[in-house]
Amino acid sequence: MTAGLTVDEAAQVRLWHRVSQFLFREARLLDEWRLREWYDEMLTDDIRYSVPATDVRGGTADALGLIDDDAARLRQRIEQLLNGEVWCENPRSRTNRMITNVEILTDRGTHLDVAANLVVYRFGHGRSDAYVGKCRVELVVEGESFRVRSRVVVLDHETLYEHGKLSIIL
Amino acid sequence: MTIELHRPVDDPIVYDDLERLSFRVDRRAYTDEDLAAQEMTRIFDRCWLYVGHESEVPGPGSYVSRDVGGRPVVLARGSDGVIRVFANSCPHRGALICSQPAGQARSFRCPYHDWTFSNRGDLVGVPIPDGYGPGFRKADFGLARHRSDSYRGFVFVTFDPEQPRTLTEYLAGATEYLDLIDDQSEVGMEVIQGAQLHGARANWKLMMENSVDIYHFRALHKRYVSYMESLGSVPPRRRGGFGCALGLGHGANELPPAAARPLAYWTPMFGDEFRPRIEATAARFVDRFGAERAERITGTNRALLIFPNLMIIDAIAITIRKIDPIGAGQMAITSVALAPKDEDPDIRELRKSHYLTFLGPAGFATPDDIEIIESCQRGYLNRTVRYSDLSRGMNKEVPETTDELPAREFWRQWDRLMHGDDGHLDLARRAGTHGVPR
Repeated sequence: MTAGLTVDEAAQVRLWHRVSQFLFREARLLDEWRLREWYDEMLTDDIRYSVPATDVRGGTADALGLIDDDAARLRQRIEQLLNGEVWCENPRSRTNRMITNVEILTDRGTHLDVAANLVVYRFGHGRSDAYVGKCRVELVVEGESFRVRSRVVVLDHETLYEHGKLSIIL
Repeated sequence: MTIELHRPVDDPIVYDDLERLSFRVDRRAYTDEDLAAQEMTRIFDRCWLYVGHESEVPGPGSYVSRDVGGRPVVLARGSDGVIRVFANSCPHRGALICSQPAGQARSFRCPYHDWTFSNRGDLVGVPIPDGYGPGFRKADFGLARHRSDSYRGFVFVTFDPEQPRTLTEYLAGATEYLDLIDDQSEVGMEVIQGAQLHGARANWKLMMENSVDIYHFRALHKRYVSYMESLGSVPPRRRGGFGCALGLGHGANELPPAAARPLAYWTPMFGDEFRPRIEATAARFVDRFGAERAERITGTNRALLIFPNLMIIDAIAITIRKIDPIGAGQMAITSVALAPKDEDPDIRELRKSHYLTFLGPAGFATPDDIEIIESCQRGYLNRTVRYSDLSRGMNKEVPETTDELPAREFWRQWDRLMHGDDGHLDLARRAGTHGVPR
């Protein structure tokens, strides 16, 4: 038993550590443009990746967002980014993702709901932009690791007037 | 103090040479801050400008606040059901009387001194009223109301009390295209919640040009085309299409769908489960409008430019794009989706999904448009290259969609207004010169 912790607390710390390591690895793969690896090794087959609009911020299910990808469209997004067809990501932008405030909201044994804060710096084509948001991730437990089943990034920006576009994966 | 502004009269920006079939624009039009300031007074202070759609203020007391032509305004439906556009500025000392982007209100209260206004704009409450003499009348201090009107649900405002045209006159040939959009539902169209608020570090006119430029599609948007093909999208059943000038700076492209349309144009990319319903809808349109007009409403894509800063693109989804200049080198873009109010929920989802594939700051096409116009803006820093060329299609009676007629129509009106011309225009004469196909 870890010194000073109850068995329950020690288990929570271990879980939190595993979840954090998983999210950090995800951020690293995305920063290193290892997008196929990310897709193949870290996501479920029914992954949903979405970024709600900055005005309604996901408050309304019927609302139009900025991104609402199923697995097929996310795969397509990745292939386009990697094969140089995306003019605004060619040459590839440099990114640096900061993941903090990792919190396991619910632990349902096979599924975890995780919240984290996210800042993504992007540099490219003479621009530097920061995307700031809150990440809600549903993880499916797979042995000692996880896969992401849902990744929702709620941006805190009122608008993206400054950024213009969102051509990377957050 | 008066600021001496650059006078385009003495130093032309637009070179429109019908003899040599050459159309050039001096790139100062995109970079010169004096010209950008002049645009605000000569264009945005005078034209009819798009504010919003009636569906955004659906019931008594509903409102939205936004900037139009650089001015904060409130679009409000009063308790009497009447839609009005007010200056979002307290008549007392100027603070915004509404700082929520949208909502429901019986009254608007200025937070500075608690002056309160009804949702019809009347001043109804002034704290400590004995500070004013007998000459003070509440009736003199209502919210400033702008002249506004709507056409088929699209609400416009003009800040020019002398604007000689009614909205319908101003819209000229563009009314036909707004009809084709609003006719897509018997019970009316509505804006879907969730605005895509983005922008570009480029002159606003570059986005207007880009939005009616189909010439760039296959070059710049290869990745979108290949994605659509991977979904089973087939090349258009019909070839053709045309670009047209609609008068007073408005223009459009009209062409066969490259993919599908969720209203009533099914192709295999939508999947078999939607086929019977979408084809049944198509048949109902034929019953209502006749085969020819039904085909135009349901089976044709269009991009409509309404001068100066509204684009409506009606293709695999409908987007309303309002483009606002921020000085010479930056713009704000507000994009929303328009859809039939009576659309089935699953078809609505299909529409939204395809909207996002193409459009918006994270779609498979718009980010490249943003990047390329920012690239143009950076290219203009090299002033050795003075002009941009927009002459494609001047050699044709009926220009194709890959030509640049709608952009020329935009620039011709821009040029007239910047010269102080009120833009009076003999539509028939221009139709003869530049082709408005009927």
